[in-house]
Amino acid sequence: MAVTEQGDRRVTVWDAPTRLVHWLIAILIPFSWWSAHNDHLPWHRLSGYGILGLLVFRVIWGFVGASTSRFSDFVAGPARVRAYLADRPGAGVGHNPLGGWSVVAMLAALAAQVGLGLFSIDEDSLEPGPLARLVSFDDARAIAHVHHLMFWAVIALVALHLGAIAFYAMRGRHLTRAMIVGRAALPPGARAPRLVPAWRAILVAAAAAAVAWFAAHGLKL
Amino acid sequence: MRLSRKVALCAAALVVAGSAAVAAVSGPEAVKARQTHMKALGASAKAVGEQIRAPAPDLAVVRAEAAKIDAAAKALPAWFPAGSGPSSGAKTKALPLIWTDAGGFAAKQRALTTAAAKFDQVALASDAAAINPAFHEVAAACKSCHQTYKEKDKD
Repeated sequence: MAVTEQGDRRVTVWDAPTRLVHWLIAILIPFSWWSAHNDHLPWHRLSGYGILGLLVFRVIWGFVGASTSRFSDFVAGPARVRAYLADRPGAGVGHNPLGGWSVVAMLAALAAQVGLGLFSIDEDSLEPGPLARLVSFDDARAIAHVHHLMFWAVIALVALHLGAIAFYAMRGRHLTRAMIVGRAALPPGARAPRLVPAWRAILVAAAAAAVAWFAAHGLKL
Repeated sequence: MRLSRKVALCAAALVVAGSAAVAAVSGPEAVKARQTHMKALGASAKAVGEQIRAPAPDLAVVRAEAAKIDAAAKALPAWFPAGSGPSSGAKTKALPLIWTDAGGFAAKQRALTTAAAKFDQVALASDAAAINPAFHEVAAACKSCHQTYKEKDKD
């Protein structure tokens, strides 16, 4: 293996915005848990708004970002998933057909989690989410309960994600480095990812921040 | 033998009398009533909080809810009759500590009653500057009692 990799070209597999979003979410998920668990609800809300902005960014980036970040690149149909599971991985960089669905599931679970949090309230009505005013106290409490339960879904998906990384590591494929530095060896026969100009990321970040700000202010300007 | 039978009879009579007093409202009924009262109290607190955070608070709403909160705070001690804890068999987060530490629980109740009365007073006076801190004292009293005497969510 090492011999063939000697001649490999190193390319940017994950563009900087995708990596930054990834690591910020990786920091904010445990921070959200910690701040809720220790009764720091103002920080918990800020963390949620941060995750909301990152999710909005990542979803838009899934249409206009570098090729490996695009949904069209990694959301695979059942045939490709079956082929991958049957150990015919196909050449390429980026998310594999199974990992692509893991990304979609994590984004969806986090979006649901943030959405529920916006409508949640604590039992003492001291710390309402910015949209709790749109629902009754009983409903906001019920939503808060689902918000608690939903965290287990987030944990399960993160555990699966880490488990997959460990699984590939045991088979000699180390995936974490590329998510940190962005670059990795291009397998023979694979096409290098297409990158996009940085100004696009700035525009998308501005849009994502606006959405998060608007939600944080209870959809009021 | 005879003496012990008498003692046993007395004890039985006491138990019957005691349970009759409690049976005015059964344990599960008391739990249900308490939960209804608490939800109404939470809804009032939510409504006040929304007005306080609003750019132009509707003080009429604050006054109406403050009156409800004050009345509820005064009635609250009766929401915890003996036998309305987990031993009632009903699903409740009220901890047995409420009844084993009756003195501590009563102190929390007094804190709420005091805070709610003061909040009602400043709301009635439409004292906009005093409403926010007075309300937060009420909510803090709720929270302080819940932290000690209410079971935490397990999930």
